[in-house]
Amino acid sequence: MTAASIKEKQSLIGTSVPRIGVDGKLNGKALFSNDVAPKNSLWVKALRSELAHAKIESIDIKDALNTPGCVAILTAQDIPGNNSFGIINKDQPLLAGSKVRFVGDPVALAVAISEDVAELALSKIHVTYTELASIFDPEESLAPGSPFIHEKGNLLGKRLIKKGAPELAFEKADVIIERTYQTTCLEHAYLEPDAGYAYFDSDGKIVIYASTQNPHYDQADVASLLGLEADRVRIIQTNTGGGFGSKLDLNTQGFLGLACYLLKKPVRMVFSREEAFLCTSKRHPLKIKYKSAASKDGRLLAIDVKIMGDTGAYASYGLAVVSRSAIHATGPYEVPNVSIESVFAYTNNPIAGAMRGFGVPQVAFAHESQMDLLAEALGVSPLEIRRRNALRLGSTTATKQELTASVGIQTCIEAIAPHYEAIRNKTNSKDSKKLKGVGLGCMMYGIGNTGTQNPSTAQVELQSNGGIVLYSGAADIGQGSSTVLIQIVATELGVGAEKITLVNADTGLTTSAGATSASRQTYISGNAALDAARKLKEAILTEAATMLKANRKKLYMKNGNVLDSSGVDSSVSFEQIANKAKREGRPLKWQGFFDPDTTPLDPETGQGKPYATFAFAAQIAEVEVDILTAEVTVKKIIAAHDVGKAINPESVKGQIYGGAAMGLGFALMEEFIPGKTVSLKDYHIPTFSDMPPVECLIIEEPEPTGPFGAKGVGEPALIPTAPAILNAIADALGSRIYSLPANLERVMKAIHSGASKMKFRLNQ
Amino acid sequence: MRLPKFEYFEPETLEEALRLLAEWRERVCVLAGGTDVLVKMRNGRLKPGAVIALERISSLNGIGFDLRKGLTIGAGAKLSDVTSHPDILRYYPAIARAARVMANVQVRNMGTIGGNLCNAAPSAENAPPLMALGAVVTAASLEEERRITLDDFFRGPGLTAMKPEEIMTSIFVPTPPANSGASYQRISARCGVDIAAVSVGAMIMIEDTVCREVRIALGAVAPVPMRALSAEAFLKEKVWSEEFLREAARISADESRPISDVRASLEFRKQMVAVMTQRALEEAYGRAIKR
Repeated sequence: MTAASIKEKQSLIGTSVPRIGVDGKLNGKALFSNDVAPKNSLWVKALRSELAHAKIESIDIKDALNTPGCVAILTAQDIPGNNSFGIINKDQPLLAGSKVRFVGDPVALAVAISEDVAELALSKIHVTYTELASIFDPEESLAPGSPFIHEKGNLLGKRLIKKGAPELAFEKADVIIERTYQTTCLEHAYLEPDAGYAYFDSDGKIVIYASTQNPHYDQADVASLLGLEADRVRIIQTNTGGGFGSKLDLNTQGFLGLACYLLKKPVRMVFSREEAFLCTSKRHPLKIKYKSAASKDGRLLAIDVKIMGDTGAYASYGLAVVSRSAIHATGPYEVPNVSIESVFAYTNNPIAGAMRGFGVPQVAFAHESQMDLLAEALGVSPLEIRRRNALRLGSTTATKQELTASVGIQTCIEAIAPHYEAIRNKTNSKDSKKLKGVGLGCMMYGIGNTGTQNPSTAQVELQSNGGIVLYSGAADIGQGSSTVLIQIVATELGVGAEKITLVNADTGLTTSAGATSASRQTYISGNAALDAARKLKEAILTEAATMLKANRKKLYMKNGNVLDSSGVDSSVSFEQIANKAKREGRPLKWQGFFDPDTTPLDPETGQGKPYATFAFAAQIAEVEVDILTAEVTVKKIIAAHDVGKAINPESVKGQIYGGAAMGLGFALMEEFIPGKTVSLKDYHIPTFSDMPPVECLIIEEPEPTGPFGAKGVGEPALIPTAPAILNAIADALGSRIYSLPANLERVMKAIHSGASKMKFRLNQ
Repeated sequence: MRLPKFEYFEPETLEEALRLLAEWRERVCVLAGGTDVLVKMRNGRLKPGAVIALERISSLNGIGFDLRKGLTIGAGAKLSDVTSHPDILRYYPAIARAARVMANVQVRNMGTIGGNLCNAAPSAENAPPLMALGAVVTAASLEEERRITLDDFFRGPGLTAMKPEEIMTSIFVPTPPANSGASYQRISARCGVDIAAVSVGAMIMIEDTVCREVRIALGAVAPVPMRALSAEAFLKEKVWSEEFLREAARISADESRPISDVRASLEFRKQMVAVMTQRALEEAYGRAIKR
């Protein structure tokens, strides 16, 4: 047997190793922050503004402090460090000092012996406000004369992308389609509302356990709020019941750090579902003016896209969405002439931040609707127009990035094509009051942060008992990165997954892996872990070669031993190697690093290389619309995703199932209305009975720079679903919906306008 | 927020419960499942001094059927018992359906039919089919036991004809007449686990193609579940036809009095009253002529 074939046989890549920690999550025994907070902790609760925009004149805390059991009331003036945080723009106060900017802005904290006492104390804080004019519309916010929400003004940011000569192309076009699309504010609705606890350890460090997807960022911003060096704060991620982007922000961590630091006592905090709804970040509502031009042979000639985003009261990840929505506005298509402008404004709405897809789900709704409209105008099928325009090897994107590998969109389209044709051939029965429709949705998604450094680091160590420890800062929030990282390291070192001990998402023990966002952990942290494992492997083989007096090139690893493939029956165990190296003072802990190859975008033209690699997908939705009630039933979703390489296929499918559910909610029912959708009672997310079967087709166009060829799937899973459903509704009704969600009333309007075009009879 | 402090009683007999009720009067809250009461207590909308749980009073939990008289459902019967009772499934499929489509498994395993009615939400799922089938509830106090038709029971959102010293003990539904059929239809903003935006219960009795009896009840389109009396009057004694059916549905929409809220607009609700009424009558007719 050759070394190569043995390696192949031992590979865990492409095998569905059970998720780390899955048992506890299934049997309900997994413990979350609020389950494990020390019993003697004081409770922290936040008083939140009920006004959208107001000047704080005074905060009277006397009565509150007299509440028996209330230990402290904290306000902005108690914050020792810099009272402004945020991952990109530091524009958000931990506790509002001079004014509040949205309903839910925190103005004071009560710290008390119980949650009830803390709440009682909060009710006795008297805040005197002077109400200011509020703005709830981004265009109004940027209009001259609008009151400023922030001192710097109401513009969050702008991204321009220019390629070719769009004006000329529009003049020569055979078909031009111009439409405006509107999406709404969405709540992440993760299973576990935000929670955490904090205490001082014996070294005088503040230790914060939290439900988070961003431990190293948390550490930096909490330290800055407290005016401390970063190493005085340690963040440890607990089991996290989902995040979808909202747990990238400081939700409880800053409050916990402040209360713990000032009171020198253990503290805990947990949001109610209503509080998580009220104050955590939301998906950006976007208004997208989209103009496309095509030639009569169905080729895209130009697009002109204007995106107006509402980022709410504070920036959070808003700037990332400004850029990403612009870069992805073409969709997975080659467009020679491009003019894109994305402008986001502050308003007094809830904070919009990161949410699975960073603006791409919104623009995908627009570009996929446009493709169907073009197809209709040109008399070609929706499938065909996508085939003709989809990116291929050698294509350039809107930012003039040339795609040199792993461009799987054509393969995804071909994978779903037979299914699409089969569903299309099903016909409606003549007098049916339920109309069938089928729709396509395609997408591309750049893996990792946009045009900026976003490295990851990891260490792999061989211990003296022969065990292997992987250190990674990556927070697994349920998506499965821990399992994938272990599979990568175990495969490289030729051991079973059970031989790897993972230490992760603890700023005291691990170095930064960056945020769990942008579908980046498999690709970027996977590469960092692989890099570390390779270095350790080299070191182990070198040690072994000396110990076995063998040709190093003939050595291979198997089950924790190094063996000689040249026929000599000799081997040495990892344990023996580790002991020898330790005795002789050589380190067996190696650091890995990876930073994707990107360049910043030009501020005027948007040209550059924002991402090192892209994921692609094509999905089909089959729907049935009841034309009397406007009820839409999604009958089936078929999802083809180019993930480069599925390191853990069941995990990939899990992401796709969950993404499809989120996409269905985005398409049909989710809409966050402040003050109205205050809990899951009125904010609807899909239930099991809303979900159709989802068939996953995993496409693997290997990414040469990815670990074993892998890219990412976390956000891509969601993006094509809503466009596919909306296109299917339009197919069924002959009439299109331009605002999400396609709720009963919007579908009813579409039914009536479809019926007026004589596509079907509406009379009862 | 956790529950505020309160006294808690679990009487084993109705009499004991009624005595506690008389003793505590308006400071008390009766718990019949708790799926609404506990939510209201948690968010502070309800602050009772005492809670009387009815679950241990076994006389309130039974379901009995007598073909000559009718169906008696104990007010404390769980919704999940109503949906799975063989006689209800056979003779009162509309009642079984209403209890089955509401809420979710966990709530149906806790919530009771009496609790759903006494909570008196405009959208109470069980009300329309029970009204359509002529249900009468029994309310008991230490002094007397009285019967209230469901038509007279609802007085406003959260308000009923019951007195503070009374407890609902049972719901009686007469045996459906020969040649009759009933149906329950509803629409909500998503498939499952949502309050109905519009619901309709209907019962009709057909004799030689003539509609001899008809009762239509509408949910979630007025401050209380309401009868569509004009639509009923229009259909009564008419020979069954598609055209009359559509007209009755239209009249029923006209007489509904919905509001706009987060679930649906006034206009959409009116439209759906017509669609749901027509569907309910069609299904009821299909069942009537099969009998």
